[in-house]
Amino acid sequence: MPNILCCFKWVADEAYIRASAGKELDLEWVDYKISDYDRNAIEEAVRLQEQYGGNVSAITVGKPDDTKGLKDALSRGPEKAYFINDSSFQNLEPSQTAAILAEVIKSQIDYDLIICGEGSSDLYAQQVGPRLAEILSIPCVSFIQKLDIEQNQLIVERKVDDGVEVLSLPMPALVTVLPDINSPRIPGLKDTLSASRKPVVDIGRDDLSGNFESCLQTMAINKANMERNGIKLGSEPQDISQLVDALVKQGVIGGVK
Amino acid sequence: MAGIWIFAENHKHCLELLNPGQKLAQKLGSPLAIFLWQDKELIKDYVSHGAEQIFVLPPLAADQTLEAYVPLIADLARREQPDVFLLGSSLRCKEMAARIAASLNTGLCSDCIAFNLNDSKALEMERLIFGGAAIQKVICVTSPQMATIPAGTFEAGPAQSPGEVRIVELADPLPSVVKLIDKKSNAHQSANLTEARVVVCVGRGLEKESDLGMARELAELLGAEIGCTRPISEELHWLPEDTCIGLSGIKVKPELYIGLGVSGQIQHITGIRDARIIFAINNDENAPIFDVSNYGMVGDVYKVVPQLINELKKTIK
Ligand SMILES: Cc1cc2nc3c(=O)[nH]c(=O)nc-3n(C[C@H](O)[C@H](O)[C@H](O)COP(=O)(O)OP(=O)(O)OC[C@H]3O[C@@H](n4cnc5c(N)ncnc54)[C@H](O)[C@@H]3O)c2cc1C
Repeated sequence: MPNILCCFKWVADEAYIRASAGKELDLEWVDYKISDYDRNAIEEAVRLQEQYGGNVSAITVGKPDDTKGLKDALSRGPEKAYFINDSSFQNLEPSQTAAILAEVIKSQIDYDLIICGEGSSDLYAQQVGPRLAEILSIPCVSFIQKLDIEQNQLIVERKVDDGVEVLSLPMPALVTVLPDINSPRIPGLKDTLSASRKPVVDIGRDDLSGNFESCLQTMAINKANMERNGIKLGSEPQDISQLVDALVKQGVIGGVK
Repeated sequence: MAGIWIFAENHKHCLELLNPGQKLAQKLGSPLAIFLWQDKELIKDYVSHGAEQIFVLPPLAADQTLEAYVPLIADLARREQPDVFLLGSSLRCKEMAARIAASLNTGLCSDCIAFNLNDSKALEMERLIFGGAAIQKVICVTSPQMATIPAGTFEAGPAQSPGEVRIVELADPLPSVVKLIDKKSNAHQSANLTEARVVVCVGRGLEKESDLGMARELAELLGAEIGCTRPISEELHWLPEDTCIGLSGIKVKPELYIGLGVSGQIQHITGIRDARIIFAINNDENAPIFDVSNYGMVGDVYKVVPQLINELKKTIK
């Protein structure tokens, strides 16, 4: 019966960033969410527990006021959460996040399997999972789309650029999951209510000994401009012929080639 | 010791990375090295593209995958202390790069899309964040400075007359406990899609797999290739995964992109920003794709596409 730990990140919702005008990236008004693929990581942990028993905990590194994310994560099924928080734990780069997680996991968590999303929806550096495995000296497979446990071995299907590999690995181990591994359930009212009664282990900066210095320094962040001043049309016959005319004039259809 | 190191999964990508690698090697006065594990015939090619050192990795047992080299490469880096280590950003290399970086306790810029050397000879590297809504510029303050670089970011340079080369054969790696049981290869290649002049992209606005027929008919008429959004390839599996366009898929740069029932989330748009003309059909007039389109048609794809096909037939004939 495996002890499963799933990692999640509470992130700014990029859908709000698009909407704001100007060149500066303004995060003041954005909403936050559990990073998309971390929901798949949580779901996979809970699914495995339903199938094989054991227990599921969630773990995150963030700012002290990220408690909404904790409730959200717990409402998705894990029975316990580890909340590593400090006001300095924002805009961390992957090497820092992995080092912080590793210190806490090494010193106080019993685990057989760690599940991470393949990448966070804000930075999408896709590093924390494999880095964490390396620091913990456990085997890891990234980008998996299927996971089973057979006689204490994990059997995983992982995507590579030219196909799919089926691999086996012993536990304890770490995997990162692709979105198609499952469809995360949507928490109901009951789940949300019970989430607030679940235990949360609060871990502060003082409980940690590492110095967690960053290896990457951010020099600048600029909004990417992708807006085009387009023409909006209806879908009446005259709109369609207007469109086809325009595409011909642009030289992208007909005539050419 | 020093070095500019290159590691990528396939030959073409290796040649692409050697090009900026060679420029860096010249500017930093550091030798250019590349890893090789299959065909030694390729050495000639690498040398004529600027490689001065070849690290030859020993063959792997049948149940091992490339990641088994990670401890070996990390050890080599600890001994040789390269200045810069550039890897391809295939899925496999992304994992390898992250693990090597962790082992060396250094920084890694994932999916670097551009870089230059600043005055203090540090690499300023750019990457997309928030699904492509913003560009982050980073420097790596630890050594080696590492980055993964998507295929197609750089072009391979021309072959030059080969210089001296140092060939270093590496010892066998310890077998990894991660064992390969089976492998299924994709027959499909997205090469056509990345080069296509016209791309018809299918999104979730299509209700069922058989509706792809409509998209195919349109594509055929325009000589277009078919691409899709991530839910179509990864969740519904209607189309091969290597036709997924966007942040976690491929980038396309056609003259004309046609989106059918594509909402236009930022992670998808990132993959089509270099299209010359973007035309989208969506029945939600507030769909974000309209903000980034040159032509936006508010309508039902099931009504519009057949009419469009008729109209095009008249025009193209
Ligand atoms: C880290 C990360 C990476 C990602 N990478 C990628 C990526 O590489 N590529 C990618 O595509 N996505 C990616 N995504 C997912 C992305 O955020 C969106 O979920 C996805 O692009 C949406 O696909 P869609 O437009 O097909 O579906 P939806 O968002 O569901 O949109 C369907 C659209 O069809 C319209 N529609 C419905 N019926 C009709 C009709 N009859 N006629 C006309 N229009 C209709 C609807 O109005 C809607 O706008 C990523 C997400 C994350 C978090």
